Amino acid sequence: MTEPNAAAPETAAPDATGLSKRQVRRMKRFDNPWRNPKLIWGVGLLLGIIALGLLGRIFWDTDMVFTGSGLPRQAPVGIENMRGQVGSWAHPLGTDVTGKDILALLIVGAPNSLYVGVLASLIGMSIGIFLGFSAGFIGGRIDDVIRVGSDVMITIPPLLILVVFQAAYGDISLTIMAILIACFVWQSPTRLIRAQVLSMRESGYVQMARLSGASTGHIMFREMLPNLVPYLFGSFIANVTTSIVTAVGLEVLGLGPQRVPTLGRVIYDAINSGALIQNLWWWWGVPTLLLAVMFIGLLLINLGLDEVSNPRLRRL
Amino acid sequence: MTILDLKNVSIDFPTSAGVVHAVTNVSLSVGKGRRVGFIGESGSGKTTTALSAMRMLASPGFVAGGEIHLNSLPQSNLLKLGAEEMRRVRLSKISYIPQGAMNSLNPVMRVENQIWDGIVAHEGGVPQDELRRRSDAALASVGLDPKVVAPLYPHELSGGMKQRVCIAIGVCLNPDLIIADEPTSALDVITQRHVMQTLRDVQAKIGAGLILIGHDMGLMAQSVDEIAVLKKGELVEFGPVRQIIETPEHPYTKELISSVPQVGGASFLDPAPAAPARGDAADNGQPLLELRAVSKRYGSVTALHPMSFTLDGEVPKIISIVGQSGSGKSTMGSLMLGFNDPSSGAVLFKGRDINRQSADEALSFRKEVQAVFQDPYACFNPFYRVNHALKFPFERFGLSRNAAHTREAMEEACRAVGLAPETVLGRYPHQLSGGQRQRLIVARALMLSPKLLIADEPVSMVDASLRATILKNIHDLKDRHGISIIYITHDLATAYHVSDYVMVLHKGHVVEAGPPREVIGDPRHAYTQLLISSIPWPDLDRDWGSSDDARAALDRLEQLEGRPETILRGDIPGFTLSQG
Repeated sequence: MTEPNAAAPETAAPDATGLSKRQVRRMKRFDNPWRNPKLIWGVGLLLGIIALGLLGRIFWDTDMVFTGSGLPRQAPVGIENMRGQVGSWAHPLGTDVTGKDILALLIVGAPNSLYVGVLASLIGMSIGIFLGFSAGFIGGRIDDVIRVGSDVMITIPPLLILVVFQAAYGDISLTIMAILIACFVWQSPTRLIRAQVLSMRESGYVQMARLSGASTGHIMFREMLPNLVPYLFGSFIANVTTSIVTAVGLEVLGLGPQRVPTLGRVIYDAINSGALIQNLWWWWGVPTLLLAVMFIGLLLINLGLDEVSNPRLRRL
Repeated sequence: MTILDLKNVSIDFPTSAGVVHAVTNVSLSVGKGRRVGFIGESGSGKTTTALSAMRMLASPGFVAGGEIHLNSLPQSNLLKLGAEEMRRVRLSKISYIPQGAMNSLNPVMRVENQIWDGIVAHEGGVPQDELRRRSDAALASVGLDPKVVAPLYPHELSGGMKQRVCIAIGVCLNPDLIIADEPTSALDVITQRHVMQTLRDVQAKIGAGLILIGHDMGLMAQSVDEIAVLKKGELVEFGPVRQIIETPEHPYTKELISSVPQVGGASFLDPAPAAPARGDAADNGQPLLELRAVSKRYGSVTALHPMSFTLDGEVPKIISIVGQSGSGKSTMGSLMLGFNDPSSGAVLFKGRDINRQSADEALSFRKEVQAVFQDPYACFNPFYRVNHALKFPFERFGLSRNAAHTREAMEEACRAVGLAPETVLGRYPHQLSGGQRQRLIVARALMLSPKLLIADEPVSMVDASLRATILKNIHDLKDRHGISIIYITHDLATAYHVSDYVMVLHKGHVVEAGPPREVIGDPRHAYTQLLISSIPWPDLDRDWGSSDDARAALDRLEQLEGRPETILRGDIPGFTLSQG
């Protein structure tokens, strides 16, 4: 019998001598990959939007989303509108042509847009996980059906179907819209997960689990799923972006929910009421800016997650 | 006259955990026309050292100190060259033959175009006839017929041919130094001999220096003039091959040499205990494992021709299945584990067909038949600590009484395979070495105390110095714990020592079978003879033969394809085999 621990790690141990302080500090940062600056900034931006929705409801009067809450066409604080009226603190971001308060619209509308995106993506991911695992793990006829189905669905432009659907049914709720959008965001997670499951199914640890008498459910959810988490996160965030783009697209066409303020709806109203000609830039500009912040936040999260799950992308 | 001088070379890799000193203070010289072998385990810095001469270290590695001189250059210090000058040196002065030829050739380019690429990159516009003449000469020099091979795409070539194409690319500009990075590690022994001899011949012809990187002492003994032994980035011994092999000085070199098992040599196993543990006969008088005319076809390819055997588990045995890749040996393993259905015939465990079992029977079958797989790196789920792999089956099969009992059983199993429980349990797989992981898998099998263990190439991906230890662990399972073992391997030497019965598989046929002393010690079948003569022995007086021998051997193999015959070389009690 050999002495225990004969198999010590083969490579020489790292040492930290001869490095500048700055390098050492940057190395430290990689001890915990989740402390990734991109990820932190992205999450920060999104939390900012959520905070706007939550704090706004406490500190601002959200009833001002209704017509006639203030004077129409007021500019933001300190800025003069075309009539020579200077904006006041009563409406810090100004008002639209019917006197709705823009800040109140954003406080209600931004979380609504985010809600549609997250809900649609959650539903799409759930469908994708279920179908992807079924296709990859069971294989055979079921795999063929799911694969062909998702490939066909990918080729259909979602906006086309959604426009027809919404035009036919008119006013719909946010949740229905999210479900409709979810019908078009399950394909790519399905394909992604199917591919991963196919390669993982033959891996050593899945074989080991089979040898250990593990049930199919155990293999799928306890052995495989945890290793898919980085992919799922990335795919989820990408789907949220797609869903919000789709939702805003529909809303700007005037096909979104009619009674609930959303960012896209505000932009639609602005375009429809000639905000561009009347130079009411704050009406469409501020919600557009907020959407941009939302997308940048999502993009940064996605880049950050990439670096977390793939150490090669990290730079010293 | 030396061609390459390394003077006190150190190479560092800054990583997130600090600087890794991959190579420390290595000095050596490669003579003109000499062959130098770099040998060491994975992570010992052998490839890194060689690649530093091409200035092709993987990012973020860099040469932290020392000098590298290529003496055929007017300004010999390679580290002082600019990027463009260095580009000119690569391939034309120093060429590199990569490890995996299958991944190194461009799949969408014809072989000859890939050779022309290198010539054009170094010499600019060369007329088409001239290019063709030179690529044909390069291919002919590695023993490939340019008329046939030149217009082919890489997927139309076999592994050995692809590796020879890589050699042709490497030598087409007559470099002064060739670096070959484990050029044969993906090939079977018969092809390995041919490729190595081709490389030796062509190197001798152009008079270049050769650096051969590898971990196989036997291959080194047959191929090089001088050996450099590296360990953890340090050069522990450097000298002529005969001196290193016959009178090694450093204990690590001795360990490397003694870890290569030889047919007929001293056994590396502990002597068998006087009263070996008894297996148990199946309760219903049925044999432990029985294959009834089992065959396996994948589409039109027959991986395994019908064969039958019975193994009664009364006295535990180790049955070796030996063969090259594609011989059907791994197919047999997965058939016996029930991972694959046989195309015809049936696999019976204790008299029950393992592919027609109820859920309860399947679970008890799983408990009694366990496996050790080839790749210790893939066998642990990276998400969990290693305990998961040991604990989960133990609890799943209802062997655990409580958490403390599981813990105790895990620690005991670890100690039984020579691991200190506190250093391995509770760690993540990536924190352990390959050898530690493979021993943990053996410990896992031990905990479950199965009746039968299928060991599919258990040591082929483990560093040489640990192979003997792991085989000893597996052998102990038989002697001390009464487990019958099916040992699947391509390595005849280990099969010789470990097993009670050997069958040699070739293209899905059993060509020779019997006790190891007969089959491997004195082979009768042409294929077995060929296998054994192709093994590179770490013995300088046992020559490998010339490249003509190797080519003749390959031709003989071609002729064998047609007429499979089984030579049975005697029986052992408790095991019977028949073809068909």
